[in-house]
Amino acid sequence: MLRGGSPTAAAGPGFAWRAGPIDAYTDDDGTLLRLMPDGGALAVRGGRLQRAGGYAETARADRQFLARVGAIIRLRARGRFHVHAAGVADPRGRGWLLAGENGAGKSTLAYALTRAGWMLLGDDGVIIERTDHGIVAHAWREPLAVSRALSSEFPELAGREAPPGFADARDRIPMRAAIAQRAPVAALVFLRRGERDAITPISPAEALAQLVRQSSWVLMPDGHAEAHLAALRDLAERTPRFLLTHTSRQLHEIASTLTGALA
Amino acid sequence: MRYRAAPDALAATLSDGAVLLNLRTKRYFSLNETGTRIWQLLLEGRTEEEIVHALTAEYDVPDTVARDEMRTVIASLRDCALIEHDPS
Repeated sequence: MLRGGSPTAAAGPGFAWRAGPIDAYTDDDGTLLRLMPDGGALAVRGGRLQRAGGYAETARADRQFLARVGAIIRLRARGRFHVHAAGVADPRGRGWLLAGENGAGKSTLAYALTRAGWMLLGDDGVIIERTDHGIVAHAWREPLAVSRALSSEFPELAGREAPPGFADARDRIPMRAAIAQRAPVAALVFLRRGERDAITPISPAEALAQLVRQSSWVLMPDGHAEAHLAALRDLAERTPRFLLTHTSRQLHEIASTLTGALA
Repeated sequence: MRYRAAPDALAATLSDGAVLLNLRTKRYFSLNETGTRIWQLLLEGRTEEEIVHALTAEYDVPDTVARDEMRTVIASLRDCALIEHDPS
């Protein structure tokens, strides 16, 4: 059973594991997460998140991080899996996942698409689910963070300040966008900044390797890693996949670039 | 010598390759089509000689090429702790 102390010290038929700054202990009752070295703890038990020792005294940003990981674990147990990608739905209701390393332009191009009338599924992550009709992406609610340095391209950013409590090392500010609750995934697009614009198909194996590299939560040994990997495999195998090398032109042309790729 | 998948290894096979993970070491490894075939033959409990024989037959490559490819893949899989020696 779960205990409120150090996850690694708990006795019983469970097992300890670590994911980044989190020590975790999983057994039949659920998973206990503790932010190291001195952070609070959060339990995922019976499909619910429960505060554990030290949680109330933990800094707000750390609590949010714990809650994010807890939610990812809770959803994994229900067959829904986090993917590190921005998600958008086009005017026809088709979902698009924009994946890439930090700084590749996920949030920026997602925002550019929302300005063109597309809806947002997630800024830095979406939840995917395998269904009889293919992979469905569910919204993962986080602020859409856009760099203020883009105010010359997006005039509405000029003069805006980040609200209190929204700290971002890349000087991004949260922007509003219309939210889509879910959308069937129509395409997977890996982003890379470059000196010319090009969109090219890539292979399923290459797509899966990139998804795994960018979705570290698949490696959590909580008993659902195999199902998580299978969902990513289906996403990579069944969905059209592209590599988009992009310049600043795409800030205004991304919608036609993407829809043209599927035409 | 025979090998088996390591206890912490997970694999996802696709039409053009595979991605393997080790949940303990947090390392992952991707395989091309030939590498994926070698992985499958390893899981079937084939010996190294049997794997070379299968590759030369299936891919129409010389024995030396098949052997080099197999050794490279096995060494990489062992380095990533994705396979282990099967003493049985």
